[in-house]
Amino acid sequence: MSVERETFADRYPEEAELVRRSFLVAFTALGLGALFGIIQALHRTNVLRFIPSTDYYTVLTAHGVLLVIVFTIFYLVGLYQWAVTRSLDRSPTNINFTRAWLTLMTIGSVITGLTILLGFVDQIGISADVLFTFYAPLQAHPLFYTGLVVFIIGTWLAGVDWFRTWLHWKQDNPDERIPLQTFMVLTTMIMWYVATIGVAIAVLFFLLPWSLGLIETVNPLLTRTLFWFFGHPVVYFWLLPAYMLWYTVLPKLAGGRLFSDPLARVVFVLFVLLSTPVGIHHQYVDPGIAEGFKFIAMTNTMFLLLPSLLTAFTVVASMEHGARQRGGEGLFRWLTALPWRDPAFTGMALAGLMFAAGGFSGMINAGMNINYLVHNTIWVPGHFHLTVGTAVALTMMAGTYWLWPQLTNRRLYSRPIGLLQVVMWFGGMALMSNSMHVAGLYGVPRRTAEPQYAGFDFQTAFGSIAELNVQLAVGGTLLFVSTLLFLGNLALSLGNPKVDGLGQTLPEPLSGPDDSPRVLDNMKLWAGIALVLVLLAYALPLGAIVQNGGLFGTGGDAYPVSVLGRFDPGVGLDAVRELLGVGR
Amino acid sequence: MSRGVPAVEEEDGEPEGPEQSVSAPAMQEGPERELSHEEFDPKGTLALILMYFTILVVMWVFMYFIEFLGNDLVVVG
Ligand code: HEM
Ligand SMILES: [Cu+2]
Repeated sequence: MSVERETFADRYPEEAELVRRSFLVAFTALGLGALFGIIQALHRTNVLRFIPSTDYYTVLTAHGVLLVIVFTIFYLVGLYQWAVTRSLDRSPTNINFTRAWLTLMTIGSVITGLTILLGFVDQIGISADVLFTFYAPLQAHPLFYTGLVVFIIGTWLAGVDWFRTWLHWKQDNPDERIPLQTFMVLTTMIMWYVATIGVAIAVLFFLLPWSLGLIETVNPLLTRTLFWFFGHPVVYFWLLPAYMLWYTVLPKLAGGRLFSDPLARVVFVLFVLLSTPVGIHHQYVDPGIAEGFKFIAMTNTMFLLLPSLLTAFTVVASMEHGARQRGGEGLFRWLTALPWRDPAFTGMALAGLMFAAGGFSGMINAGMNINYLVHNTIWVPGHFHLTVGTAVALTMMAGTYWLWPQLTNRRLYSRPIGLLQVVMWFGGMALMSNSMHVAGLYGVPRRTAEPQYAGFDFQTAFGSIAELNVQLAVGGTLLFVSTLLFLGNLALSLGNPKVDGLGQTLPEPLSGPDDSPRVLDNMKLWAGIALVLVLLAYALPLGAIVQNGGLFGTGGDAYPVSVLGRFDPGVGLDAVRELLGVGR
Repeated sequence: MSRGVPAVEEEDGEPEGPEQSVSAPAMQEGPERELSHEEFDPKGTLALILMYFTILVVMWVFMYFIEFLGNDLVVVG
């Protein structure tokens, strides 16, 4: 076997095992999440109803948390472990540490996931129907927050692991530039550390003690603001692994090379700097935050268009490079020279296309005045099914088609099914998100099992609400089938015999890292500036919120979704309660 | 065996030209030529981005004037 064809699994068997394990958790969550997704789509539109509407929030919480916390983040840690190991060509400093954080993350997710799912079983008296935006006044069972804490600590340790591996590499290679993939991992993690400050404070100091009954009330505006401090940058935590695949793998799939390594680095640094000081743009209609702060958040948000446009340019240019190397000509005809029959390529390209569409609805969301038009309508899920639900999720699935053979030494079960799967996702999402956007403009609300108000007709300019409902239901069904095809294809791949030589290399960029200033690699500097920017954006609004409402504020009585009060000691979990010292 | 994964070892272990993706079908053609940084001029990309930009602006203006100003105010104060 030539060195070039050695796979990741050949070279790093233990690491490959860990990557497979994190993908396994990710894909389990994806399967469950898709199941809840189709239940919602059919229930909302009154096409098929088999759960009571009172269980809708349990379904919605499970859908949100399993997909945007468990699926995306477990895929991220798997991908990043692969990327750091591959690009530094080096094992973790201590692989037991790597195992430990992955185990912690898994335990945390299982605790949180079970707490949500127990909401279906009324007898047990545990539930957490607080949605993935788990701020007050909705209150969950303490186990929900406990699991989250364990999970987040796991992700922090993952970052520590990768920074440690890099520092050891640096000792051996003092004069080299950080390899691009490792650079992406490190910058993403800096952003994550900054972002999770908000959620850690919200959970540890407010939500968890409150759910345990240790404090009576919380200031809902404060927990909301702390949540969105984290809630916006977390979207880039989902997105950046997709960016890594677009920047480093997609050019190879297209048959070309990355257009510019320095531009890619600039984009990741911009995300570190700009992603956190914008969260207030989710709170345009929150009373209690001065318009001025909202305006600042809006301005900061608009700056985030810059890295996205840079990415669009760099990634498309890299694809064009591939197409022209494959003989593509003309202003647009080169598009036909791309390898459209490779599911990994097509999946990522379609994901990128949908991201461009999501860019439009994102701009509408970001505008302070025009946001009022769509706020809390189903337009918003329409937007983020294009971004996280497609740009991220579809890229991750497509990336798997390329990565999986190198992690298992087995070929994919079927490339045509893979191709069908990614195209079906694209088609299903085009229908579902289109109908969500349009219905949102007519004022159809999100997050409800019964979107029709009694005695109220939605005025449509053309078509009808019934037609939009059909689109949503058909789209959702296609998405569900597509997920099954993806999972089935992977599962069947495990039945293929092991073969040699599935290894792949990644081509060098056209313009390499030496063309970029060294200061880009200065992680401490970027982390420092990011913190200063966060301080500038948040110190005053948070100060005002606490001054007006107090740390533990007013009006924070729980909406009773937590049923700790009815906790049934007969179930055997009272030991846990004892341990936590809970008792009301 | 497919072309993405050569059945035989290359003499010197150097694959000829960029290798093919493992997820691509076997009969897919590989690159025909090498384009260096200087030879490559991403004019197609520029055209696509400009098109996208125009669509963005037009749609935004449409939303702002038709949907926003055309409706009653929802949130006051
Ligand atoms: C099988 C595919 C999917 C279907 C059929 C589906 C369907 C839906 C529907 C109908 C809603 C709106 C529910 C409501 O507001 O009443 C929703 C919400 C949501 N979906 Fe999906 N979805 C799918 C995949 C995904 C993926 C892949 C992601 C992210 C990776 C995702 C993330 C979310 C989130 C975060 C919400 C909002 C939850 C909340 O409001 O708290 N979905 N989904
Ligand atoms: Cu945001």
